[in-house]
Amino acid sequence: MIWIGGQLVSEGPGGVYGERMIGGYRHWSPKRSKLSALYYLGRGVELEKHHRVLYLGAANGTTVSHVADYVEVVYAVEPAPRPMQDLLVVAQKRRNIIPLMADARTPSQYLPLVEKVDIIYQDVAQPDQVKILLTNAGFLAPDGVMVFMLKPRSVDVTRSPADVAATVEEGLSSGGIHTDGCIWLSPYYPDHAALICTPE
Amino acid sequence: MKSYWFLDREGGTCHSMPRDPGILVEWVQELAGSGVADMPEWEWAVQCGFVKDRSEYLDILHTTAMHLAGILLERELKADHPELILMVKMLDQIDSVINLLSERAVEWYRVLNPEFSRKSALPQGRKLRDLMREGSVDALREILDEIDQLAERRSLLAKRVSAKAAGVLPNCSALSGGLVAARLAAEAGGIRNLSMMPGSAIQVLGARNALFCHLATGSPPPKHGLVYQYSGVHGSRKEKRGKVARTLAAKLAIAARIDYYRGELDPMFITKAKEAIRSAGRGP
Repeated sequence: MIWIGGQLVSEGPGGVYGERMIGGYRHWSPKRSKLSALYYLGRGVELEKHHRVLYLGAANGTTVSHVADYVEVVYAVEPAPRPMQDLLVVAQKRRNIIPLMADARTPSQYLPLVEKVDIIYQDVAQPDQVKILLTNAGFLAPDGVMVFMLKPRSVDVTRSPADVAATVEEGLSSGGIHTDGCIWLSPYYPDHAALICTPE
Repeated sequence: MKSYWFLDREGGTCHSMPRDPGILVEWVQELAGSGVADMPEWEWAVQCGFVKDRSEYLDILHTTAMHLAGILLERELKADHPELILMVKMLDQIDSVINLLSERAVEWYRVLNPEFSRKSALPQGRKLRDLMREGSVDALREILDEIDQLAERRSLLAKRVSAKAAGVLPNCSALSGGLVAARLAAEAGGIRNLSMMPGSAIQVLGARNALFCHLATGSPPPKHGLVYQYSGVHGSRKEKRGKVARTLAAKLAIAARIDYYRGELDPMFITKAKEAIRSAGRGP
């Protein structure tokens, strides 16, 4: 990862969403991206030039654009039409973003286009987040890792975030996935957590 | 032999697909969800002469995916009629702007006419604005004119929303009226989402705070959300409202499915549903 004066940056053509430029590099703010926050906390997965990434919940392509700056190819899955319009604009400039308009719950919709990947990044904020990750685990290469963003409030508002996180960890391990526990993203994102997962 | 997005397995040998995005997109859509598709291994694309190397592979993949996403996007936008939802959101926003401006105008008028505040029952809307023109100043009168203009736009837009809803959501509109139907679709996040909701969810659409308050603290659940605006609900006796709302919501759930999947008015269904809703409001 590239850091300039304590700020995380990525290398690529700027002006995707009005991000600040630092010495010709694009500032990747931890306030705009949960993945960036994870790197600021020193717990992110190193992105490398040869990496292939499956990105579930691509949204407007803000974080996707930074990931694409680092890796070989990003398969970006997003079901909603409105964000997809923005994502297509981002993908027009970055030819290593493969936009896939589909629901991550039904991988068969994009299976014909997606190869084995080194990293699965999931940020979907849905009640059935864990199940979505498990259904997509088949895309992971044997030595790959999954970065899972958990928003407990989207799983169950009535329970405490820590409580939900515990259930999620259990759900993952009974699905054959190993994690090193929750990384809470405070102070950048209160009540959000990241889990770095590997298949057992 | 395998079925990839870039080759066809017919004949047992390598059949590279033509590199035309239109044909590739059709082939991908055929493969998607078919169960015969294989996760692509790009090396095959080179072996079969589809591309010469990895970077060319990614290039064509990108073009194909962009093309496909464009088609799916257009299809989705057509099926979900986002225009109706934006129209109804605009309508509600104009309403709240009118209210805000009117409140501020009343405050202003009260300063000019101190005795005004002692009037207990003020008229509403247009009548209130006409009243305020007396004994006012030009600056305020001009603003009142603007609010009148906005109110006219508002009622025109409301008619258009109803007309559009009658076309897009014919069955829901026939049951609850176009405005309520459009608002329900907006609150549900689209016609597709509305069509996938159970009646119990439709019943409390628009009562989010009350619903989460109920879930979190166990306070009594909301009887109705947006469906309250339907005259059969707010016009019923208080103890009947829950029952009417529940019946209406159950019928709306069916109506939304007919609207999304069939898209035509079903007069038989409407007659029966209306009877069910009416009879829910009767009785002791």
